[in-house]
Amino acid sequence: MKLRPFRIALVLITSLIPLALIAILVFLGQYSWSAITFNGWHFLYGHIWNLGNLYADPIMQRGQLAPIGANYGILVFIVGTLLTSAIALLLAVPISIGVAVFLAEGLGSNLRTILSFVVELLAAVPSVVYGLWGYAVLTPLIAHSIGPDLRSTLGFLPFFAGPIGSGYGLLAASLVLALMVVPIIAATVRDALSQVPLETKEAAYALGATHFEVVRRAMLPTVRGNIIGACILGLGRALGETMAVLMVSGGALNYFPGNIYSPISTMASFIVSQLDSAMQDPTGMAVRSLAEIALILFIIAVITNIIARLLTGTSRNVSSV
Amino acid sequence: MSPPFKPSRMARRKWLSGAGWAFAAGSFLLVAAPLLSILYTVFRKGLSALSLNLFTHVTNGISGGLLNAITGTLVLVSGALLFAAPVGILAGIYLSEFGRSRYGQVVRFLDDVLTGVPSIVLGYFSYVTLVIGLGWQFSVLAGSITLAIMVVPYIARFTEIAFLQVPNSLREAGYALGLHERTVITRIALPLALPGIMTGVLLAIAIALGETAPLIYTAGWSNFLWNGRLIHEPIGYLTYVIWSFINQPFSSAHALAFAAAFIVILMVLVINVGLTILVKRTRPRRPGQR
Amino acid sequence: MSKQKTAYPVRTALVASALTLAVAGSFGAAPASARTINIMETGSSLLYPLFNIWVPAYTHSHPNVRINTQSTGSGTGISEAVSGIAQIGASDAYMSNTQIRQNPNILNIPLAISAQTVNYNIPGLNDLHLKLSGPVLAGIYDNQIQYWNAPAIQHLNPGVPLPHHRITPIHRTDGSGDTFIFTQYLSFSTPYWNSHVAYGTTVSWPAVPGSLGALGNPGMVQSVAQTPYSIAYIGVSFANEVKDAHLGTARLENRAGHFMLPTKATIMAAAARLGSKTPADERISLIFAPGAHSYPIINYEYAIVSDHQKDAEMGTAVRELLTWTINRHEGNAERYLRQVHFVALPARISALSRKQIAKIR
Repeated sequence: MKLRPFRIALVLITSLIPLALIAILVFLGQYSWSAITFNGWHFLYGHIWNLGNLYADPIMQRGQLAPIGANYGILVFIVGTLLTSAIALLLAVPISIGVAVFLAEGLGSNLRTILSFVVELLAAVPSVVYGLWGYAVLTPLIAHSIGPDLRSTLGFLPFFAGPIGSGYGLLAASLVLALMVVPIIAATVRDALSQVPLETKEAAYALGATHFEVVRRAMLPTVRGNIIGACILGLGRALGETMAVLMVSGGALNYFPGNIYSPISTMASFIVSQLDSAMQDPTGMAVRSLAEIALILFIIAVITNIIARLLTGTSRNVSSV
Repeated sequence: MSPPFKPSRMARRKWLSGAGWAFAAGSFLLVAAPLLSILYTVFRKGLSALSLNLFTHVTNGISGGLLNAITGTLVLVSGALLFAAPVGILAGIYLSEFGRSRYGQVVRFLDDVLTGVPSIVLGYFSYVTLVIGLGWQFSVLAGSITLAIMVVPYIARFTEIAFLQVPNSLREAGYALGLHERTVITRIALPLALPGIMTGVLLAIAIALGETAPLIYTAGWSNFLWNGRLIHEPIGYLTYVIWSFINQPFSSAHALAFAAAFIVILMVLVINVGLTILVKRTRPRRPGQR
Repeated sequence: MSKQKTAYPVRTALVASALTLAVAGSFGAAPASARTINIMETGSSLLYPLFNIWVPAYTHSHPNVRINTQSTGSGTGISEAVSGIAQIGASDAYMSNTQIRQNPNILNIPLAISAQTVNYNIPGLNDLHLKLSGPVLAGIYDNQIQYWNAPAIQHLNPGVPLPHHRITPIHRTDGSGDTFIFTQYLSFSTPYWNSHVAYGTTVSWPAVPGSLGALGNPGMVQSVAQTPYSIAYIGVSFANEVKDAHLGTARLENRAGHFMLPTKATIMAAAARLGSKTPADERISLIFAPGAHSYPIINYEYAIVSDHQKDAEMGTAVRELLTWTINRHEGNAERYLRQVHFVALPARISALSRKQIAKIR
């Protein structure tokens, strides 16, 4: 049997990636184990998060040492995470494809390079700065113009009706996430479009298609696999984003959003904002419960990835001639 | 027999195509406007701190310069790339060339899931295992490894996509000439895949430059220039300035925070431009590409 | 071959940047003195601004000490002081009995006294100083009092044209010392709040429709300024920002039933009253102090330090730094404290702090 050192080396190095993930998983699982036994299934459907009385002596409850009154439930954050990611992707995917089409097919090569930087710069903005801009510019905009406009046009749907509040909320968080996801999808699709073979385009032109029809009917279908792959990466980024969401989401605790303008909290932003307080719990139960949130987020990421793959058939069908 | 060419249908197709281009252009504007707004906000608020001082002095309390943060960011991101680029590119090659197997699918799946791990979780993981567990304390090594784990999936997937774009006919031609597997990959496919790989690496740099949460618990913070130690020595970085100084009640601190934000964005622009020129100059042209 | 063509410029770029970094590094590296001590301070975001003002002044007179400061939160400050990653942890909250039992070698040393304001944004009424009490605030944050012109509020402010508008209470999303002292005020003054919500750097805020969470004190200021009819609690070091945003500052009811504004005099009155009650380990809450002129929301800013440092040199350096900070002519002098609107430690307290500092080896 021929030893293929090159291939073996590749496999070994590639394995570092799943290894890192498994290491994190093992760490989270082992670290949060006592919290898992303490919280049980209630963790997933409870909507109250209570650290309990950290200054009284902790007592044994359900087999673990925990502060009096400690009660952890994260349904509010699960809802917040799913809603923000879904709306962000719903907005980002069509816009990214539009941007990619504009860049790849609508411009001459010089303008394309320069304007591509614009899109790539969106990825360059630190998430903290998105948060700052979000609460300095975006939330007043939502409170004064975007919110009222949405309500007057789509207000017949209950989701878009109701009080607009201060601008901090689901809409702000979703918009910011969408902006962060766009460069990932747009860059992939733009690259893929620019690699489509000339023959495919020429054939479409020969059949009498307009330029846009060439793009829409001949080019985009061939890069469908790339688009899906990029969307999955974008979904990951949306699920894991912390700082920017934290600063514009309004930090809802213990209640569910009533409409698109309501404050929400996501699991990732909650972990960031609560880590410091949790460290003050002498029993460690609070930090372990945060680790359990991370574990659940991980499971959600796995489930959404599986669903995304199932919904779209195969995961990577890029044509190569 | 009715003529195949109907003026009304043609008009409708033209209208739809026009609408399509309008949508494409509109999308671009929808995306460019917030970016310009961000740049403008950052520039205006950081203006009072923007001076040559930033590049010559270190941070001193609530004011001073950013030299320590700038060099620290460069060190951390370079370190992250040092780990992430080889692993990511090689993983991407594996996934595209040999990745149809079960194992390949598992790796691809886990790679995607890795992007969904919040940066704070990675940071806390490194805090417990590297900073405290291995006793590295706040260190460049802990920070770089954490950033590397964050960005390696992007490099791997963009590399894979880039390699999949390379036509099989070229590979087959290489094999037909009797070339080794690794020669076909590295000498024939790699140069053609380079632009796609570059996009992934640039994206990784942009993301790594903008991260705060993981570094707070691994790199710590230092008001001083890096002294070359990989462990037992904290280091400064620009995003820390943004995150912490914005929360202080001093306008000099705020200005410094926005100046740091401005520098981060500028850095990414410069690196983007630099690497794009580098790649454009060296990649061979394919027939049919503009 | 093309691979070599790409490798060459990349290699040169790498070498060039490495050289630049090395050169830049050598410019800044302090002359290697055998006695250079590195002190890491981390923790409370309330003490952070003050520590940052102290650092340049201290290092000017003590050039062999390098101090790095971080704003991470009280919990992180305590945790890192305990694990030894940081030499000084800053915290707005003293450690609980359980925490002390777990870490008997940790000292809680007050360095200064800070306070908190309750601010609101009612169009037209921001120049009046509305009178609010602990029970009223508890009711607002508990959804029992929903409108500004509710009888409970009107009763405290007769004659003031309060609007019929829902109140938007704003709390901190991040765990913070500000939440800790605010909720202590609510707990000490309102038994119902004490038994149902209690106090902490994070609490399980009752669900009030429309209530907001803001990040950090600047986030609080921003949220109140942007949200008419809202109310929030803000650290006193942000008094300038509050003034610039034209927010209203409430008069708070103290234990004696009087409504006080946060001024240096009222803060010092409260500190004086509880100073004599402060135990030797200095773990005490200054909230809701007795006294006719006391401001009800003040607290000690603590340095959390281990009494055995890694070696004698570090022990001495930490002791010197802490002694400098509480010295009335140095760290506790007006020229530093007034920039953050903090108040100096009363003499008895700084003596107690000095005793604790002496324990550090």
